[in-house]
Amino acid sequence: MNPKRCAACKYLRRRCPKDCIFAPYFPPNDPAKFACIHRIYGAGNVSKMLQQLPDQTRAEAVESLCFEAKCRVDDPVYGCVGIIHLLQTQIQNAQNELAKTQAEVAVAQTKLSQTQNSDF
Amino acid sequence: MSSSGNPSSSGGGGGPCGACKFLRRKCVAGCIFAPYFDFEQGAAHFAAVHKVFGASNVSKLLLHIPEHKRPDAVVSICFEAQARLRDPIYGCVSHIVSLQQQVVSLQTELSYLQAHLATLELPQPMAPVSSSGSLQALSITDLPTISPSLYDLSSFFEPVMSSTWAMQQQPRPSDHVFGVPSSSSIIGGGGEIQALAPEFIHGGQMPAQPSLGTSGSASTVIKRE
Repeated sequence: MNPKRCAACKYLRRRCPKDCIFAPYFPPNDPAKFACIHRIYGAGNVSKMLQQLPDQTRAEAVESLCFEAKCRVDDPVYGCVGIIHLLQTQIQNAQNELAKTQAEVAVAQTKLSQTQNSDF
Repeated sequence: MSSSGNPSSSGGGGGPCGACKFLRRKCVAGCIFAPYFDFEQGAAHFAAVHKVFGASNVSKLLLHIPEHKRPDAVVSICFEAQARLRDPIYGCVSHIVSLQQQVVSLQTELSYLQAHLATLELPQPMAPVSSSGSLQALSITDLPTISPSLYDLSSFFEPVMSSTWAMQQQPRPSDHVFGVPSSSSIIGGGGEIQALAPEFIHGGQMPAQPSLGTSGSASTVIKRE
């Protein structure tokens, strides 16, 4: 076996060709990365997706796929959508708190102006 | 897409489900896809799911999920699949990064305002208020520039960050990592995800994509250039 096989070919127990589409993005020292992505998407689907992308964008595509795959492994029901929902809730809470604080600032400033005017 | 979980389009009865129609196979009784992909619109939704995940992978995923959670799982899978087809490079990760930026921005603004409020409420003589209105002088443009170079999405896989004040407002799932919530703690049962489904499925806004950095680990660090 070629000791320089990429993590994908090692996982799939096949020869790693020189133009292996996975090799640049799945180094042999990180087998878990490919295992996770293969579990959710499958090697064939990932290969097709990467083939449809320009070379310079494939690295980022792999990273985003890995992230989504890990989310799905950790939360099989909601995956990334759970994170999106959480962030949207945080945004809503922050906006509510912001509106409340702006109102409090306005009240405090009004009181301060009145106090200063009465001092004069 | 029929996401109610009702076996209204169960296989073997009144025609194939959307999934089996797309796959051009016989829809057997007990077809795992039948409750969630109806004959009419289900095929279109399943096409996206099949293209991104593959039918067998989705089938395995659903088999490992309790039946009452499967409608939510199908909705989220459909959402991710359609996001990935719309944006083959970033999928729904760009949406997550954008939301994360919004959270940081809002928290910074809130901290600034709270500090300002604390200053106003101090029992000390204050500088004269300008006639134009001090609130205008303290506008968003006065905020320090926020330009974090890294958004560490690996934090989603770590225990809850105590520095995130917003999380302190919410009940924390005790045994789950932040950002990967349990369905019961964050999304209350099937009702909320179903309400979110139209927003997710039918054109959730996908903002401009940030640039992702490469990383050798599954804990992805997303770089914003």
